Amino acid sequence: MISSKKEALRIFFSSSVSKMGIVLLIILLALSIYALTAFPTEYGKLVWNNPKAWENYPKSAPPSWVNLFAKSKLFEHKVLESREPVVFKAPDGTVKMLYYFDLDYDADEFPKFFSMSVKDVRYWKSPPVITLKLIRPDGKTIELTSFIVSSPRAGESPPYIRYQEEPFILKIDSDVNVWRSISLFIKDNYGIDFSPSEISKNPERFIFGSPVKGNLSSPLKGGYRFEVAVTTYDSKDAVSLISLILGGSIYGLLGTDIIGRDIAIGVLLGFPTSLFIGIVTSVIVTLVGCLLGIIGGYFGGKTDEVIQRSSDIVYNLPLLPLTIFLIFLMGSSIWNIVLLLIVFGWPGLTIVTRSIALQLREAAFIEAAKSYGSSPWRIIFRHMLPQVTPFIVAQMIFYVPTFILLEAALSFLGLGDPTLPTWGQMLELGFRNGAIYLGLWWWIVPPGIMIVLTAFTFVLIALGMEPVVNPRLRTR
Amino acid sequence: MSLLRTLTIRAVNLLLVLFLVLFLVVIIIGATGTSDKILMAIVRQEVSTYRQVTSRTITDPEALEKAVETYKRELIKAYGLDKPWYTRIGDMLRRIIFLDLGVSKSLQTFSGSNKVVDLIMERLPNTVLLVTTATILSFVIGLLIGVKLATAIGSRLDRALTYFSATSYALPTWWTGIIFILVFYFYLRIFPPGGMYSVPPPEDALMRFLDLLWHAALPIMVLVLATVGSNIYVTRTVVMNIAQEDFVLAARAKGLPEHIIRWRHIARVAAPPILTQLILGLAGSIGGAILTETVFGWPGMGLLFYQAIVSSDEALILGLVYVFTLVYVIARFVLEVFYVILDPRVRI
Repeated sequence: MISSKKEALRIFFSSSVSKMGIVLLIILLALSIYALTAFPTEYGKLVWNNPKAWENYPKSAPPSWVNLFAKSKLFEHKVLESREPVVFKAPDGTVKMLYYFDLDYDADEFPKFFSMSVKDVRYWKSPPVITLKLIRPDGKTIELTSFIVSSPRAGESPPYIRYQEEPFILKIDSDVNVWRSISLFIKDNYGIDFSPSEISKNPERFIFGSPVKGNLSSPLKGGYRFEVAVTTYDSKDAVSLISLILGGSIYGLLGTDIIGRDIAIGVLLGFPTSLFIGIVTSVIVTLVGCLLGIIGGYFGGKTDEVIQRSSDIVYNLPLLPLTIFLIFLMGSSIWNIVLLLIVFGWPGLTIVTRSIALQLREAAFIEAAKSYGSSPWRIIFRHMLPQVTPFIVAQMIFYVPTFILLEAALSFLGLGDPTLPTWGQMLELGFRNGAIYLGLWWWIVPPGIMIVLTAFTFVLIALGMEPVVNPRLRTR
Repeated sequence: MSLLRTLTIRAVNLLLVLFLVLFLVVIIIGATGTSDKILMAIVRQEVSTYRQVTSRTITDPEALEKAVETYKRELIKAYGLDKPWYTRIGDMLRRIIFLDLGVSKSLQTFSGSNKVVDLIMERLPNTVLLVTTATILSFVIGLLIGVKLATAIGSRLDRALTYFSATSYALPTWWTGIIFILVFYFYLRIFPPGGMYSVPPPEDALMRFLDLLWHAALPIMVLVLATVGSNIYVTRTVVMNIAQEDFVLAARAKGLPEHIIRWRHIARVAAPPILTQLILGLAGSIGGAILTETVFGWPGMGLLFYQAIVSSDEALILGLVYVFTLVYVIARFVLEVFYVILDPRVRI
């Protein structure tokens, strides 16, 4: 046994394995705390698992840093947003609000799609008119489209509120008016005839490039300026948010999955769930297992017999098939998973602590405590438990990765808690949608690495604890 | 004689475990109404067969309906579905033990049967083949490297191994499998992505065997990788502890060659605790098989389990839980026989 806590800590921190483990643990905890504070608790249910929330994102797009290795530059997905217009008041009472969006285009491919979204419009008199204009790097201007917000319905009184719950999304590339205006624009500027139906096949090619007959043309690089003008007829009229979405083929730090979800967010949200399941389960399992072991070892007799028999049986069960079976029957919530992991996890420690308690029971200091009339519970908690503490702590840490991996495995088999984003579930979706056979590595590598990293952290700390518990390993 | 007695006691203990698991499972499925669902499915199946047969003799639709209805009522009574579930515990136990669990909702064997018992029996050998090969390989590698490392504690190789076994412990088997498929199938194209044989399988017996090896390579590698780290680590630690005992010092003092000390003196004493590790890892191997088979589409019980979960097939899941427990209990018994032979001290 270790003489003092200080000595134990010194031995623990003397190895590089433990130092690395502790550094990793601090990083994991920091990321978990960030994830918990930056995202609301209902995020998993309301946003993550809601395909509608990801409509404007590219599907199965690789991370944007693949551009560093690509020969021709891919276009990174862009969402341009503006809330603050420049306002012009005309003497006739109309108010013109101008929203500007600047885009520096340097990719070698055209955007995949182009749409405009308008959120939360309110007006008092006549419906506002919204127009979209584009000024290109070559100085040419295209009047792309204009539309009028829907008129008041019969019996409706002002203010008239539109697009409040769901934003109005105008798909620029599938809008007939846009095709017509592009056709006109090309005729006026280049003198070439393109019918709107010819343009409809790939409007982005004309919006962001020069017209060429045939298929080959490359984007016009440089600064683009989009101008959205909202003409209103009352000074109280307002629009809360206008955004332009330019569909790219690469996205963010870790790309997107088949639904368009940002994998970086999923990976981040996996930290708290994974750590929670691992740590909480392992703490409870260790406490229950140790207490039962010590109680059995100390009291002996019938109590010991019952505890020993039941731990023997539970210890001899094939864990995964039974857990799968029970989760299947009970439903997959995080609480059921934790509960089952506890139910199947406790006996290992009970068996070991029981044998330690059997030895301790005969020790002189326990005899002494008995002789001056300490109650059995006082002996267990004050005298026996502290003796096994280093061992218990080491075991507790060693159990954390076991439970993290088990939860991930259950999630991977489709039995994870559907309201929480977990790494196992991300991998399950990727696996079921054939991400491996399609080579969508950004979908299956990062969540897996996070599982390994989290489990690895605790394995390292447990390995670092070993010399503290087992003095024989301390020699060199 | 004492050997036989010890083994009998072990066998009885393990059978008790099996029986207790079954008993708990029956109570759980009874209380949750799952056993009713399974039995009703059997009744429906029998009723529809009966309808087909009798429709040849009874042509009047009303009379046929009546006959079918009576037959159904009789069946419900015969299966005890009119009484609460706890009256059927014994019957349900017998059903599970003999895998008399009716038919699967959506899965079939290659010969077209959809009986639960046929499905499981068809897949069982494939799982046994995969897990046994992987376990033996992992054990042998663990032993060879572990014993070697025990004499070099603290060396650079030993420290590298510490990191390797930590990584191996932290690697989810199934994710390793996914990465292997990505690398060896998608990018390198040197191994198939899954399955057990090519489609169509080669005619020639030797070619068939080679084809099987080719398909089994990745899953076996994954299973070995997942367990070999802890096997090496445990062997190393056990052997190292024994190497510090006095009798080893005595053997060295006698001037015995190092390899004789290592394999005759140390390994003999280290064998039982190492075997214990193998026994403890057994449950993990079975769990690993479920996941590995799922990832590699290996047609064993693990893949069947996954398919049963995805299609919510209660009867099949129940049968599989039983057979998995049975396989586990048998494998444990085999290992315990070895243990009792290796370590005479545990004999009663």
